[in-house]
Order: sequence, then C-alpha cells, then structure tokens
Amino acid sequence: MEQLDYDVIIVGSGLAGLRTAIEILRRDNGRLGIKVALISKLYLMRSHSVSAEGGTSAVLYPEEGDSFELYAWDTIKGSDFLADQDAVWRFVHLATQEIRLIERWGVPWNRREDGRIEQRWFGGLSFPRATYAQDKTGFFEMRTLYDTLLKYDNWDRFDEHFVTSLVLDGNKFVGFNTIDLKTGNMRFFRGKAGIIATGGNGQMYRITSTASSSTGDGYGIAYNAGIPLKDMEFVQFHPTGLVPKGLLITEAARGEGAYLKNADGERFMKKYAPSKMELAPRDIVSRSIMTEIREGRGVKDEATGIQHVWLDMTHLGKEKIEQKLPFIREMGFKYVGIDIVNEPMPVRPTTHYEMGGINTDIDGKVQSLSGPIKGLWAAGEAACVSIQGSNRLGSNGTNECLVYGYIVGNDVYNYILKENPPMPNIPAGKLEQEQDRIFSGILGKESGGEDVYQIKDELKDTMEKYVHVYRTAEELETAVKKVKELKNRYKDIRLTDRGHTFNYNLQHALELGFLLDQAEITAFGALMRTESRGAHARLDYPKRDDEHWLKHTLAVKGADGPSFSYIPVRITMWKPVARVY
Amino acid sequence: MNKRYKSGLFNSLNPTRYNLERWSYTLHRITGVILALFLIAHIFEIYHVTLGIAGWNQTMEELSNLGVIELIGMWIIAGSALYHGANGLRLILNEVFGLLLGKPRLPEYPYSPLSLGRNQKIAIYTITLIVVALWIWAGLYLLAGLGIVRW
Amino acid sequence: MTRVRILRNDGSKQWWQEYDVEPRKGSTVLDLLLNIRETHDHTLAFRHSCQMGSCGSCGMVINGKPSLACQTRIADLKSEPLFNDTIRIEPLYSYPVIKDLVVDLDDFVNKHKSIKPYIIRKNPEELEEAPMEFRVTPAENLNFIQFDYCIMCGLCVAACPTVSLDPQFTGPQALAQAYRYIADPRDEGFNERQSILDTSHGVWRCHFAGSCSYVCPKGVDPAKAIQLLKREILKRKFVRGKAGASVAVVVQPEKSISNAPKAPPLDFKMEADQHE
Repeated sequence: MEQLDYDVIIVGSGLAGLRTAIEILRRDNGRLGIKVALISKLYLMRSHSVSAEGGTSAVLYPEEGDSFELYAWDTIKGSDFLADQDAVWRFVHLATQEIRLIERWGVPWNRREDGRIEQRWFGGLSFPRATYAQDKTGFFEMRTLYDTLLKYDNWDRFDEHFVTSLVLDGNKFVGFNTIDLKTGNMRFFRGKAGIIATGGNGQMYRITSTASSSTGDGYGIAYNAGIPLKDMEFVQFHPTGLVPKGLLITEAARGEGAYLKNADGERFMKKYAPSKMELAPRDIVSRSIMTEIREGRGVKDEATGIQHVWLDMTHLGKEKIEQKLPFIREMGFKYVGIDIVNEPMPVRPTTHYEMGGINTDIDGKVQSLSGPIKGLWAAGEAACVSIQGSNRLGSNGTNECLVYGYIVGNDVYNYILKENPPMPNIPAGKLEQEQDRIFSGILGKESGGEDVYQIKDELKDTMEKYVHVYRTAEELETAVKKVKELKNRYKDIRLTDRGHTFNYNLQHALELGFLLDQAEITAFGALMRTESRGAHARLDYPKRDDEHWLKHTLAVKGADGPSFSYIPVRITMWKPVARVY
Repeated sequence: MNKRYKSGLFNSLNPTRYNLERWSYTLHRITGVILALFLIAHIFEIYHVTLGIAGWNQTMEELSNLGVIELIGMWIIAGSALYHGANGLRLILNEVFGLLLGKPRLPEYPYSPLSLGRNQKIAIYTITLIVVALWIWAGLYLLAGLGIVRW
Repeated sequence: MTRVRILRNDGSKQWWQEYDVEPRKGSTVLDLLLNIRETHDHTLAFRHSCQMGSCGSCGMVINGKPSLACQTRIADLKSEPLFNDTIRIEPLYSYPVIKDLVVDLDDFVNKHKSIKPYIIRKNPEELEEAPMEFRVTPAENLNFIQFDYCIMCGLCVAACPTVSLDPQFTGPQALAQAYRYIADPRDEGFNERQSILDTSHGVWRCHFAGSCSYVCPKGVDPAKAIQLLKREILKRKFVRGKAGASVAVVVQPEKSISNAPKAPPLDFKMEADQHE
C-alpha cells in the first residue's frame, strides 16, 4: 500500500476543513514549512457547505443594543441548556472577528446604504444579528475560503479519496487509510496531527435536506477506532423542507416575514410560541408542524401522499422576494412549478443537522473515555463541543465551522511548534488488516445475496418512520430491532461492480456500514433518554428532566452494539430555566 | 485517457443547439477564412504591376472577361466582406466600449444572460438585414455587368 | 417508457448503452440516472452530490447541450421541438474522460488557479487583521457579485468553441473569475494578473460566441465578464484606473434601540476572560 507522510492531515473540505487549513498555513507563513494534506471524498467546492443558505450570526453592532451576553443567552436557551456554557462564551467573542476577517478575503456580504455590513432577524434570536450574502451565505463563504486557500503553496489536495478507517496507536494519532477512487488503490496517510471535519449524516433519513455525500464518515471512523460519540440522539429537523424530496427552504424566508399556515388557513404558530411566532427555534416549529399534521390539519400532496403545511410569502411583494429570496423563488419554479409571489409553498420538517458528534473539549481536541487522544482534533458539524446542545439555532452552524476552524488551526500550529512531535510509528499489521477487510472482505466477496441499495432503502424508511420528530418507546424499540437485523444482513452483501476505477458501488457499501452504526446509536440513545429536551421529543416523557438528565450521552463501540455512559454539562453562567418563547 | 472528448475544429464551428451569437461567430470565422484567401489572391493579382505596363494591361484584359463562376466567387467574397465588416463593428462596440452588454446585476431566474439579451439580438438582426440588402444589391450589379439585367 | 442512451467508457473502449426506464412525474435526469444505477446497472459511474443545483458535480451533455443533470427536467426535454423519444447522455466536451460520465477536472482547476483568484492588497497586513470591515456600498457590490455565483461546474468550458480548438486558452470560467476580482473595489492586484490575461492565449482569444453564458446554470454570464475585462485592460493602458475601497471607521449610530432586550443576570461569577 502506498504511504504518504504529512505534518497535518485534514479530512473533509467543507467550511471547517478549509478554514483550518488556511489558519495553519497563515500562521506558519513558510517559517516551519508545515505541509498540509487536504483529503475529501468529493472534489473541492462540491462539499455540502455550499448549500447553506440563511446566514452567519455575530455581534457586530454593540452600539445599537446587541451584546455578547445576549448572544450567549440566545444560544444557551436555544440549546435547552445542554450546551457547555464556557465554550459558548468563548465562541460568541470569536464569531465577530471571523465575519470581519473573511470580509477582507472577499465575501460579498449584503450591505447597508452607508457601506457597513447588514444583518437580519433569524429564528430564536432576540436581536437581528444574522449576517447574510443574498440567500446563499454558505456558498459565498466556501467560495471565498477556497479562493483564499489557493494563495498558499505548502498544501496538497487529494480529491476523491474515500477515508475508510482511522489508525490509532493506543491513544496517539497515527494516520488515515483511504481509497483513491480514481485508481482504486489504497493509500495510507501518516501524520503528526489529524483533523476530522467531515460534516453530518442526514442520509440516514428518507426526507432530508442533505446531499448524498452526508453519510457521517467522520463519525463512523471515530466510532470504529473506539472514540466516543456524544449526543447522537439529537437530530435537528428543519421545519421547512420542500415536499417531496426535502430540499431546504431557508429560515431566512421566515426571517423576512413568511407565514406558516395549516389546512384551515390559520397561522398556527400562535398556539405554540405566541411571542416569536414563526421565528421560534427550529425544534419548536418542527414539533408544531408535526402536531398540526397528526391532528389532521395538514394538507395531503396528491402525487406522493405526503402530508404538509403551507409556507406563505404572497404578502411580501415581488420586489422584496426578488431582492432577498431569489433562490427560493427559483426552487419554487423548478421543483414544484409555482411562483411564490402568487402561491404558497408546500413544506414539511426535514432532517438537516446532527447536533451530536465526536467528543471534543473546548479547544477541539478529541477526548476518549480515558483522556485526550494526542494529535487528533475535530471541527465543525463532525465535532460536538458542545455549542449547539440539544437544538441548534439558525445561523449558528456556519460560524461554528469558522470559529472552530480558527481555534483548531491555532491549536494544531502551537502543538507542532512547541512540542515538535515526531512522525508516529504504524502499529504492526494494521494496514494489511484494513486492505484485507476491504479488498477480500467486501470487494472480492463471492458469497452473499444482499443488495446495498435495498438495505439502504429499508434503513431510510425505518428511521423516517420510527425515529422522527415525535418518538415513543415502542417505535424506538422497533427501530433498534430493525437496525440490528439490517446490520446482520449487511454482512451478507455482494457487489456487482468489481472494477477498480471509480467504483461507486464499493463506496456506497462502505458508507452504508457507517450509516448503520450511527442509526443504531441514534435510536438506542433516544430510547435511553427518558425526557424531552430540545430536538429530542418523547411522547411518553413530555417534560424536560433537569434532575436526572442534565448530562451528555457518550456512546462507545462495544461487542454487540454501543455501550452508553454520561458526563455532566458545564454550567458556568446561567442555571436552566423554562424555555418559552 | 489524455485525449479530450469531442474537441477540435468541427465541434468548435458547430453552432447547432446553441445561441444566436454562436451562429454569428461561426459565420464570422468562415467569412474570415474566405477573406484571408481572397487577400492572398488579391496580392498575387496586384503583383502583376511589377511586370511593367504590358503585363498590367494583359492582366486587366483578363479581368474584364470573366466567366460566370468567377463572378459568383466575387459575389461570395463581397458578401463575406460586408458581413465580416459589419459584425466586426458590432464586436468592437461590445469588446472595446462594453456596449449592448447590459450592466452587471443580480442573476434572476430563469437567467437569460444580459449579454445575449434584447439589445444584442436587435443588433444582430439589424446587421443581418442591412448586409443581406447590400449583398443583393451587389449581386444585381454583377448581373448587370454580365448583361443579364439592365441597370 | 423513455429510452436513455448513455456513452459508456471503461478507460480503453467506448460504446453506447441503452436503458428503458419509466420516469416519475416531475423527475429530473439525475433521478433517472440514480434509478438506472440502483435497479438496472450498478457499474454506471457519474458524479452527483447536492441534487439541488448548488454543488456543480453533475455536469454532462444531455441531448447535445451541456447542462446539470439535477436541473434538467424530463418534461422540459420532451417538450423540445426535435425530441425523438430518446435521451442521449454523453460526458462533457473538451475534457478527458476517466470512466463513463466522470471527467478529469485537473486542467480546469489549474487554469482557475493561474489567474490568482484572491483579494490582493498592496499592504498584505490588511488581510491578516480585521478590526473593522471595508466600506462597500450596495451599488459597488452589484458591479461584481453576479460573477461570484460561479459553482465551478465546468459547463461553460465544455460549450466554448475556443477551448475546443486551443488547449492553452485560459477558459471562460477563469477569465470571469479574474474580472470578478478586478471589479471588486477591495482588490488592488490588477498588475499582477495582467501578464496572464493580456496575452494571445488569455483574454484576446475569446471572440464572443456567447455559448458559455447560454449554458451557465447560475446566470453568471461569463461572456459579459470577459468583454468587460477587455474594456478594463484597454482602459488601464490608455486611461488611469479607479481607486480602491477604504477601511470603514466606527460611526456613531443614528438609531439606538433603547428597548433592546437584555440577557438575564448571571447565576455564577465568571473567571476573568475565558477567551483568547
């Protein structure tokens, strides 16, 4: 197997991965000659961060009434008090400098008349502090970060390399095993420092707003290496996903004044969040929509039979829609065939974000049950610090990627500068074992009769039906049993494509392995947590239980399924209070 | 596989399935080649002046007794010159002065690009009409020379 | 039933393969291809990711026109005048093919890198520290933001006739990005890019066929960017250029929201400054 040595290896090329790479190269500026490898299973600029639409929050106008305390309070209350408050306090200070710094690098933020950056209202915020660029904020940020990264020389890009496993030596990072999709050969990357920034796992569900590349590879390789995953049962359902596929209709539509209406034409949010109405946090709006649908006030789509409600923007006027929401109008034309200036849009909750992730501390260092893993960091959606707690506010995702790109980049650079670690040794036999597992165990296997796509279909339907917005004990138990059955069937799969170049069949089989593990952790974790908090809502335990459940869930790989333990939440600013809007 | 898929002369000149400006680009290229060949022939013809008065007079004698095929060839060259010149003027307006392109603005679905917008298409159709009119007039002139039409 | 003909390629030989599929109402070509891969033929290779036209992976030539598979609806194809009940899919023109519909984008990426697509300031320190933002009015924003919508899908390069003839031509995507940065009021790097743009294989090879703008799925209009770039180069040779943006200063606010909500009082005493 080919082996490549680098100082820093970054897996994942979304906002977090690119920002980390820029920070390391910028701090170094040629002094130590640090070489960075950027690995991604897609081409650069194809990562799912380009679909982020709404905005990026930061405190830019303290003179107009905003303050760091207010932003921290919004985030912590929005997370239903499961966020670690010291991490949130640090985060709200660093977001401001990030917005201004990437503005220098060329992001075309929307401006006020006098030339300063403009901000707008967003869900769950008490001050309009979401900075935005048209309605494609994530795309412009990715564009700018990619262009800025081209300025530096000391990095190599490895596009379309699929990471299959993480190699650790005890509690030290050694490297990543990858398959080069272009040739079909395996390549091992050995490094002094490794960063996982692979994003989320929305493809577990049928109706999802995520790309087909969001299969949680980072979670899968960390879990297989024995690293705990934190809070995986908190899956965010974005309230407005376009029926039938679940494509994202940004929260900015509600920020600009759209109404949510049920089959009777009433704005039903006044029953659930009377002061914030449609701009309540996402979990509250999703639950409200699902309640309306369950109680029979939803609208049925004739073509697919999916129940939905209406998102009404007809009162905003053509000019405002063209200025602020042009992409939504285009999606209305292209995917549903309506003009949102005249007609409402059919929407339904869709899977959007995974609040949980790889267990890290406030600096982004990965923590196992017995202490930190030396040389391994995680950033962005793949990590769980946790800033988002049990529910993420809108516009808090992109700035977490940017801020943690900055923090992890600096931490890695200081680590290499001050500790000068040597290149690690590879534990004997690990590489050959991995190569055997993939080439003989999966690609070359002759026996077995299961089809990868069949199992994936059944997994998606299972999760959509049993582990959705509202959960009950019976549904979750059914889900756990079904996922275990699918995992047994997964051992029996047989690939049809035996080629080496661009074997997507093999890639999909490996991704399915990761998804099955995470589905098991999510369903099981949801079953164990007997309370309702944030995005996790149990019909049989409808209240929040701070006495027993103010703690993070940790799931570690065991002999036949995950084994759970719990760690406390760090409360340093506000004690939990009732969460009403 | 280092060979690029479907690149080369035929595909670069093939305007089917594309926009109006692509047709005018293809015509501009073809008329350009015709004019380049004509230029070479013209220089060769003028060279005869170096042969002295007798040679020049002989050349003029040959040129006043042209057959039909040569006249049709000259007609095609006249049309090429008209089209290439007029389109060239439009291209100068576009490329040097930035006219007829429209100001940069936010892209609005369904994204008809302004550089291929109404002004541009009006310009192309106007040019084509004027060129065709002048070409027919040139044709009549040549036919008068043959004696077929009375001018 | 719709017949789909796809040009297959396994690295050494190529052939046309036909499939018969039943498209659902409102479906796109990408839905068809996913259906073919999952039920008929697992070996078909093509790129796709976001399924909503913002990543640019699924570029291919459908019935002779370069387009994104996730944005091309079957109903639109069927209503075209010359449609004869077959959907013909080929890989993008002017790119080397690796397998089936997957093409090699390395040359495309290198050309983009060669025109220095980043903000260049005379004082590089201004890009490292940012106490305040640059002052850019909404009108100045409009001058260049249209060209920043580029998702790097590569369709314009496939449609361009000059790229077909000349492998060294910089390409419409790179030239449009060069203009995006030159027209940005915050950029001061025209002179550094001039040696790449102002050559016979740079801007002057373009003769305004306009096919790049015609196929662009995001409305970037690279043809307009290139013609404006030619005007800008000529203007700077003979006339003086424009000034750049200045750093915004902290202004006294006109409105002060006195009834802005305040956070509730802290329950714990915090240690001094926990952030860097």
